[in-house]
Amino acid sequence: MTVEQNFEALDQFPVGMRVLAVDDDQTCLKILETLLRHCQYHVTTTNQAQKALELLRENKNKFDLVISDVDMPDMDGFKLLELVGLEMDLPVIMLSAHSDPKYVMKGVTHGACDYLLKPVRIEELKNIWQHVVRSRFDKNRGSNNNGDKRDGSGNEGVGNSDQNNGRANRKRKDQYNEDDDEEKDDNDDSSAQKKQRVVWTVELHKKFVAAVNQLGYEKAMPKKILDLMNVEKLTRENVASHLQKFRLYLKRISGVANQQAIMANSDLHFLQMSSSLNGLDGFHHRSVPVGSGQFHGGAPAMRSFPPNGIIGRLNTPSGIGVRNLSSPPAGMFLQNQTDLGKFHHVSSLPLNHSDGGNILQGLALPLEFDQLQTNNNNNNIRNMNNNKSIAGSSMAFPSFSTQQNSIIGAPNNNLVVLEGHPQSSPPGFPGLQINKRLEHWSNAVSSSTLPPPAQNSNSINRQFDVSSLPQSRPDTLEWNNVSSSYSIPFCDSATTLSPPPALDTTNPRAFCRNMDFDSNTNAQPGGFYDTLQTRQSGNYGPTTDAMLSSNPKEGFVVGQHKLQSGGFMSAEAGSLDDIVNSTMKQEQSQGDLSGGDLGYGGFSSLRTCI
Amino acid sequence: MDTLIAQLQRQFRDYTISLYHQGFLDDQFTELKKLQDECSPDFVAEVVTLFFEDCEKLISNMARALDQAGNVDFKLVGSSVHQLKGSSSSVGAKRVKGLCITLKECCDSQNYEGCVRCLQQVDIEYKTLKAKLQDLFNLEQQIVQAGGRIPQVDI
Repeated sequence: MTVEQNFEALDQFPVGMRVLAVDDDQTCLKILETLLRHCQYHVTTTNQAQKALELLRENKNKFDLVISDVDMPDMDGFKLLELVGLEMDLPVIMLSAHSDPKYVMKGVTHGACDYLLKPVRIEELKNIWQHVVRSRFDKNRGSNNNGDKRDGSGNEGVGNSDQNNGRANRKRKDQYNEDDDEEKDDNDDSSAQKKQRVVWTVELHKKFVAAVNQLGYEKAMPKKILDLMNVEKLTRENVASHLQKFRLYLKRISGVANQQAIMANSDLHFLQMSSSLNGLDGFHHRSVPVGSGQFHGGAPAMRSFPPNGIIGRLNTPSGIGVRNLSSPPAGMFLQNQTDLGKFHHVSSLPLNHSDGGNILQGLALPLEFDQLQTNNNNNNIRNMNNNKSIAGSSMAFPSFSTQQNSIIGAPNNNLVVLEGHPQSSPPGFPGLQINKRLEHWSNAVSSSTLPPPAQNSNSINRQFDVSSLPQSRPDTLEWNNVSSSYSIPFCDSATTLSPPPALDTTNPRAFCRNMDFDSNTNAQPGGFYDTLQTRQSGNYGPTTDAMLSSNPKEGFVVGQHKLQSGGFMSAEAGSLDDIVNSTMKQEQSQGDLSGGDLGYGGFSSLRTCI
Repeated sequence: MDTLIAQLQRQFRDYTISLYHQGFLDDQFTELKKLQDECSPDFVAEVVTLFFEDCEKLISNMARALDQAGNVDFKLVGSSVHQLKGSSSSVGAKRVKGLCITLKECCDSQNYEGCVRCLQQVDIEYKTLKAKLQDLFNLEQQIVQAGGRIPQVDI
């Protein structure tokens, strides 16, 4: 499908664009749905993030755009955002009543393509289709240049899951083409589309870093870097955008106390980061190291449980929220397992850690870091112990199979068995290797009493039953939460919410006693108790149904009626009149109603309904 | 007949305006009204019904949490009030929203007394609004039954 054809198809936009709206608040969801319908989009709603994921997973081509609330009980909106971006590569818009820039920033760093504040206005929704067009446009450009970019055709809803998997298996020299594409979009004013795509391979990046190094980080200018690099067909613009990303990357990780891990992996780290910075979700493509079919086999297995949750959570505290950081734990290990030599062949996903340190050696970064040069492998990594910030920085390390991160993210950084392993993995036994890593990790995390890993990758799931790990560290609270988020009911909230409901009858009254009992507030004690009572006596249930099933206006009244006739309330029913009357009197005294009979008229009709 | 309809329409208009002037409703409610059309003729009523259900549920959650004297889960109260704030701002329930903001502040500073008082006020406020909107809907019904059209009220 050519670009031109793509855009013709897009001419039908935005009418009929398929949106999935997720919000646990039924009021807001209803409003959102109606607003979207008024924009002529095709809307599907759900009030549960889990359900949303299921809907998305069952057919990746079913939706063009996702709008999601941030605060949801069953899953954090940011986590959903990451998952959607990672798995489905759809544009996601965040929605929240939080106007705090922190949240907006979090949305952006997690890859949201927009952040809207509640209450949402229809004007804002009228333009959201641009995000879909933009992402397709970018994909198209990518595919036109590469021939096999993800979602190349850009056809409405064309799935690319096959491509994703296929790609994982293929050696790819051009993984970072997308980056460059994006870079050009971001950085060039002129028609970036026409420029030659540059692949920032590891070698190229090494040269880049060496040049920056030589010039001095502060002083590195694209032109000079370009000259030093001396690479044909590389333009100043390419270097400039790459430099910009590199700087952003460094800034992002500069918060991390221990730079070692970063530096050790930084070339790879950065290269992967760069695509995430662009909001690309290529990670799950890259996730499987190239050339290793075994990983491909392994990856889905890894993915079978939602490790992303862990990452999501761990990301938060470290303040480094990068989209696509989620990962089933053992990915990192998978990566290690491969014959590192293979990586070298493969160009873009290098793990040439032997060089890693060297590349950065001498790089006058504002951050201090040890240069892990030569063998930054196991030893170095093990040196990075117990540094929570590593969890943060590691989080920034988008893993290959999105698996490493969770491990890196673990509170105990011994895990950062990042690069760790020497090339000795026999390609034929990935499972074994993975498990060894897992074992290592598990041991690191807890003081050990884990069952020996099973000999196949399926065991990874068991291994990661975090709940079984002794929680030996103070910051494992996150682990708790994380694990709870997918394997255990969310602990904290669960306990508080699992109501000891039999509000013992003395309690509500006690509560009521605290209230003022003057006439104006007569409604209160009844009100609270009323509320509680109706909940307890189940009036609320039937009330709700009645309200919903009948004419809503009726329902309105019916609801009130039932409330009034609720158990405890029956004793108070008489006083309701008093309440209403006193309120009416208030109305009158405020004198805002021009028609004296209006207030009464209104209320009397209310009364008759009751 | 016409005079009755005209009378009802006038009442409707006045009442609506008064609700805005008294701060019960704001622009967002106007927006909701705009979304109501032939395809969804009861949209506003449906939405406010949902809203009042949410109010009830959230307020009772908060009441229960506050009732755990000595062991109040302010986080829960905070997240409930946050949600209530979101939905009240979405329907245009201006006073309720304002009280939610105050309640949120009390919650953030873990001011137990403040929270309890605020919550009581939120409860009163939403019920008052509910009653008023009920009246408004009844007026609408009367107008329609009398054969008239519901007037467009520009605030």
